[in-house]
Amino acid sequence: MNTSSRQRAYDRGHTIFSPDGRLYQVEYAREAVERGSPSVGVVTSEGVVLAARKRVRSPLLEPDSVEKIHRVDDHLAVATAGHAADARQLVEAARKRCQQHRLQYGEPIGVSVLASDLADHIQEQTQSGGTRPYGAAVLVGGVDPGPGPNSSPTPDDRSADETERERESATERTVQPALYEVDPGGTFYGWRGTAIGDGTAEIRSFLETELDGGDSTAATPDLTRDRGLSIALDALATTAADDRPISASTVTARVLGPESDSGQSTPVGDDELERVLAALESD
Amino acid sequence: MHGTDSNGIVTTGTTTVGLVGADGVVLAADSRASLGGRFVTNRTARKVVPVDDRTALTFAGSVGDAQSFVRRLRAELALYDMDHEPGASVDTAATVAADLIRREETPQLELVLGGVVPDPTVYQIDPAGGVMDAPIAASGSGMQLAYGYLEDAHDPERSVAELRAVAAMAVRNATERDTASGDGMTIATITADELEREQYDGIERAVSAATSRTTDSEVVR
Repeated sequence: MNTSSRQRAYDRGHTIFSPDGRLYQVEYAREAVERGSPSVGVVTSEGVVLAARKRVRSPLLEPDSVEKIHRVDDHLAVATAGHAADARQLVEAARKRCQQHRLQYGEPIGVSVLASDLADHIQEQTQSGGTRPYGAAVLVGGVDPGPGPNSSPTPDDRSADETERERESATERTVQPALYEVDPGGTFYGWRGTAIGDGTAEIRSFLETELDGGDSTAATPDLTRDRGLSIALDALATTAADDRPISASTVTARVLGPESDSGQSTPVGDDELERVLAALESD
Repeated sequence: MHGTDSNGIVTTGTTTVGLVGADGVVLAADSRASLGGRFVTNRTARKVVPVDDRTALTFAGSVGDAQSFVRRLRAELALYDMDHEPGASVDTAATVAADLIRREETPQLELVLGGVVPDPTVYQIDPAGGVMDAPIAASGSGMQLAYGYLEDAHDPERSVAELRAVAAMAVRNATERDTASGDGMTIATITADELEREQYDGIERAVSAATSRTTDSEVVR
């Protein structure tokens, strides 16, 4: 009897309110995120730039095996901070959700829809028994199909292959870049530029200076992709230790933008990273 | 095989072909959808569909089954591509397709699946989930007629530019005598560089377009 009641208490889970209304486990989870290497997102007029710093603990470690930014659909990517293993689960959930949306509705998922779906999933772990919160936060970046000539195909427009039409028409539309942050509590906010992980406060105030002066719902006016990438990397550099400046092997970046030769989601190559970092260095 | 969906719409009355060439593959199909091969419900059906960057398939069977199947296959391959570098080979795509077909709710479909990763390959996938690779493959009610032509005309050493005409002729010959095939054609050409798909209204228009793009005029015998 004694044992079983103890077991029940143990099983009840740790996500209970403190007397002053706080969820300590969720706050500890946010702490775990704060200790993770940072990821940055910047919305430009040409797309969303995601960049992250990789923690390469040893010269023997293969930097490519440290994954911070993950493609989750043709037009979407997720940057993470915090417990890498927890983050991987979120990435997997995001990828499945993207394909599920295509299956169910025959159209790609929107950036805010994916962010809110992930937030719902994360929130569930703060309220159900036997689970712990995710020790990771994510930035969801991508491009939404904007209004266009074929934005609402009528049913009789369908050929035997309606998904294909959907794909073809998507390329004719304008796109709307969007960036969302989802935290371990399961709340999500849209941003024009933000960061998660170590040094978030410094990075955010840096971004506030750099990106100031735009209308809050749209991409920062006249901010090009190249400038956005430069700002994102510069923001990451503000948090790097003086004795270990960031380099092409310790940062990673991806741009989600209008259709290019390599699709809407393009990793930034080492050459370009080196070039941008060198330009920052000389400023 | 005659698959019938809830609306009774059947495209088993169909002719589709797949050919392996030296530099890629060609897939082609007629564009008629019919009720039991007796009433034409659609004359511009696309029965050749891409499922990945460099992989496409043709289907014969009910339209509803095929649409649902293609959506699921695309989702599976998209997930595979995100976890694997490089993305799915033709062999992988065929394995996944056959596995979906074998599962309970999936349909009786006759597929021809082709792609170029890592090499030009065409697979015939039968309604029981059997997967067999072959230099030529055909499916649907017109397949005997198509095979008759392909056995004679196909040469895997030829380029896809030439094989487009062979594929178009094979489908054309089948539509001459198979009442359930006709109206138009879809031709897809896949090489390492691109996956190109064209839709033609009218069989003869498709044949002349495919033939005129052929530099070697002796292809069409």
